[in-house]
Amino acid sequence: MVWLREVARRLSMLIHRRQFDADLEEEMSLHLEMRQQEHLQSGMEANDARAAARRRFGNVTALKEISHMAWGWEWFEHLAQDVRYSLRMLRKSPGFAAVAGLTLALGIGANTAIFSVIDSVLLSPLPYPEPLQLIAMKQNDSLQNVIDIQRQTRTLSQGGGVNIEAMDYTGGTEPVQIFAAYVDAGLLETLRVPPMLGRIITPDEDVSGGPRNIVVSYHFWQNFLSSDPHALGKTIPLSGNNYAVIGIMPAGFALPREHADVFVSLWVAYPEAAPYRGVHFMRTYWRLKPGMTLSQAQADMSTIDRRLAEQYPDNERDRETLLVPLHEWLTGNVRPALLVLFGAVGLVLLIACANFAGLLMARAIARQQEFVIRASLGAGRSRLIRQALTESGTLALIGGAAGLLLAKWGTGFLVSLKPPELERFSGIQMDAHVFLFVFGISLLTGAVFGLMPAWSAAHADVAESLKEGARGSTAGPFSQMLRKLLVTAELALALILLVGAGLLIKGFSRLRSVNPGFNPTNVMTMHLQLPATRYAEIPRQTEFRRQVLARLNSLPGVEAAMVTDIPLGGNYVGHSFVIDGRPPIPVGAEPETQTVSVMGDYFRVMRIPIRAGRGFKAMDREGQPLVAVVNEEMVRKFFLHENPLGARIDWSRREGPHQWMTIIGVAQNVKHSGLNQPVDPAVYAPFPQSDEAWRRWMTLAIRSPSASAELIEDVKKQVWSVDSQIPVSEVHSMEDLMGVSLAQQRFNMLLLGLFAALALILAAVGIYGMMAYRVGQRMHEIGICIALGAQRRDVLRLVLGDGAKLAFFGIAIGIAGAIALTRVMTSLIFEVKPTDPGTFAVVAILLAIVALAACYIPTRRAMRVDPAVALRYE
Amino acid sequence: MHRDEIPPGTLYLLILKTLARSGEMHGYEIANSIQRISDEVLQVEEGSLYPALQRMLIKGWVTAKWGTTAGNRRARYYQLTAAGRKQLGVEMSQFERVIGAISRVIEAA
Repeated sequence: MVWLREVARRLSMLIHRRQFDADLEEEMSLHLEMRQQEHLQSGMEANDARAAARRRFGNVTALKEISHMAWGWEWFEHLAQDVRYSLRMLRKSPGFAAVAGLTLALGIGANTAIFSVIDSVLLSPLPYPEPLQLIAMKQNDSLQNVIDIQRQTRTLSQGGGVNIEAMDYTGGTEPVQIFAAYVDAGLLETLRVPPMLGRIITPDEDVSGGPRNIVVSYHFWQNFLSSDPHALGKTIPLSGNNYAVIGIMPAGFALPREHADVFVSLWVAYPEAAPYRGVHFMRTYWRLKPGMTLSQAQADMSTIDRRLAEQYPDNERDRETLLVPLHEWLTGNVRPALLVLFGAVGLVLLIACANFAGLLMARAIARQQEFVIRASLGAGRSRLIRQALTESGTLALIGGAAGLLLAKWGTGFLVSLKPPELERFSGIQMDAHVFLFVFGISLLTGAVFGLMPAWSAAHADVAESLKEGARGSTAGPFSQMLRKLLVTAELALALILLVGAGLLIKGFSRLRSVNPGFNPTNVMTMHLQLPATRYAEIPRQTEFRRQVLARLNSLPGVEAAMVTDIPLGGNYVGHSFVIDGRPPIPVGAEPETQTVSVMGDYFRVMRIPIRAGRGFKAMDREGQPLVAVVNEEMVRKFFLHENPLGARIDWSRREGPHQWMTIIGVAQNVKHSGLNQPVDPAVYAPFPQSDEAWRRWMTLAIRSPSASAELIEDVKKQVWSVDSQIPVSEVHSMEDLMGVSLAQQRFNMLLLGLFAALALILAAVGIYGMMAYRVGQRMHEIGICIALGAQRRDVLRLVLGDGAKLAFFGIAIGIAGAIALTRVMTSLIFEVKPTDPGTFAVVAILLAIVALAACYIPTRRAMRVDPAVALRYE
Repeated sequence: MHRDEIPPGTLYLLILKTLARSGEMHGYEIANSIQRISDEVLQVEEGSLYPALQRMLIKGWVTAKWGTTAGNRRARYYQLTAAGRKQLGVEMSQFERVIGAISRVIEAA
């Protein structure tokens, strides 16, 4: 603690150092006076007395300085002095300060923001213990296969499956749709996150006829159980059954990809589906045994695949299970976009540093004389270097502070854009390490390029430089070269970014102009789910649907229909099918189609044109001949050279005699899975003619000129007047769904566009700064030219030609770089080649114009030169 | 009158001892006291007292406070602290060790 008190004493001296100096002064002069007095009393002359006193005392100034320095603050005082000086210099050239500070702020801020997002999404570990052991299967599987794999595997320690189903929670005032994870006992065990309260489902509960026990999410516990600490053992009503709460998961817990409010055993909640081997509806997650590698597990899995295929040839013949590390599987979709953004950010940082360097160099050359003069007046080399470092450091600090604000704001902005892929990653924050890293790079740039004037001043021949200065100092060929190189590089980098942004913009506009196949304007959609307890039979379901549609269509101005899954909603059910009269196809090799059940005049409500035949009519109901409408893609793939109308199809799963559906119409293709996704063959069939009682869900499609909150309430009222226990969920407008489908692309485009704009501005500033400086340097020369009779046009050519040459080189190098680099964007751009010549041409021209405009401003100054002034120009 | 420079490194010892003997003193008094007690043999370059006093302030061996001289002038008075007293012991024994060693070398002839 002794040192602590010493530090305190030193600090207090620093704070009171003016007082300190005054005290020392007073003390010393008292001493001198008293000694002088003594000498006077011993009979000396006044002058002699003073001289003697001083002689005995020593060098007052030096002693004061030594006393002052004993406290160890001279470094700080020099620094403060340098900083004050730097600030004064920056105030004197606000343009330079603003541009350099802004350059750094943008470079640091943008980089930190983007990298923070990348860091949380791509680099941070999964929120499960020992996350590197976790793997996912690319294909879904059935519970029976999961059980066999669990038994047979020699490389996986744990594994389990999950299927998300909507359930109705009827314990509150209104029925609410929640999402239940139908799991096996292995799933939560595999993820290894212990419950916050209670326990998870055990294997002995996870059996046919097991107890109705349920584990709830933290979110569910908060919202529906009011965070009751005694919630364990309570029962909650879900889809007509009561479940006992046995566990509550902690706040941060979520399944890797699925949203789930509650977790129940598949055997208990959906016993019908559990025994079927052939229906692969579960997503499965696995854990590697310690020491096992992915390729060992893959080999092991292939063996199991072969065994299952031999044992169950009907269902499992074509098994080809692929294992992927869970992290890769989760980030796969967003990875290319983020990596491209990361690359873009890196380029912007390079441009920003090049710009900063260029600015510092220009300033350094301009201030060379000042440094030489200071050196000639005796400033030490180290002091000069320290001074230069302080200046660029001050600038970097100012830029860094602004960058910090920008980074915080930018990270928030990125997260608020909410591309769907980022939603899963809550808690994305600005990363302090990233900020420090980027800031460090800028500081280094500042240090290296800020040192140049001090360096050359310290090494210059002072006399020579002063003489040269009198003639108008010119930069050495080396720094000229370096600056040209920097500007060329900036232009090239900017071009690469612009090409990338251009490609995304073009792809996005292509995507926007994609015809979804229906008219989304004024259509609202809502999801309904019928509980299995009361709607197990199809006639009961049909009755409900018919009543709801009748009531909705009686609302003024409303057209309503139903469909299993709305286009762009992200879901659909696929079936394999056979065509009547075609040669038989081996079991398991039948073609697949999307199957859509509809009710009401769905095609008219959605404005999906019927290309041939007719749409459904009221007569296409139960007890009537089975009918189907197919899409154009179905026709293209399977009825290319024949008339599809009148052909008959059936699902290949049918046991017993086929129940053929007759194709009565062809509907235009609808983009079902996403605007950028290809259209699959589709079969539409009326709900009442379906024999699939498990299709208990439906989406309302409601076209109304007034899509208001009031309408939504009216619709809910009508639904509840038929059955008050049915939750109405996922209320969207069709236009919103279109927006979601575009969101990721828009996100990519916006960001890269932003970066490209940034790069363009920085590059323009860079070339402007360089040209302005060059013109300043050549004033003398230009003055001579004009005095000798050169026309303005000649001056223009002289100066502009200089910039044009740089622009040309920059653009040429940039094009080569862009061709090499944009290939990585292939997966991100819709129907545009990464080497799209149109985009390249537009971008190159744009950049050329900006570069020349940036050159023109200083050129104009050169053209207006008054030769008399220019010749005198120093 | 011949005066000897004080041996290097002993200035602290002299100041500490002087303050220990007389309690509070200002710089001029300290300089005079050292000179007087050494029978005018030891000559301090008086100014160098002050940097030394600063270093002793930093170390916490002495404290300083402003007071008034007999002649009614403002002066800074230095006083030994507990740490200073302890340091005096250290400096003394160190000095004695060195002196002892030097005398042994000299007498060994």
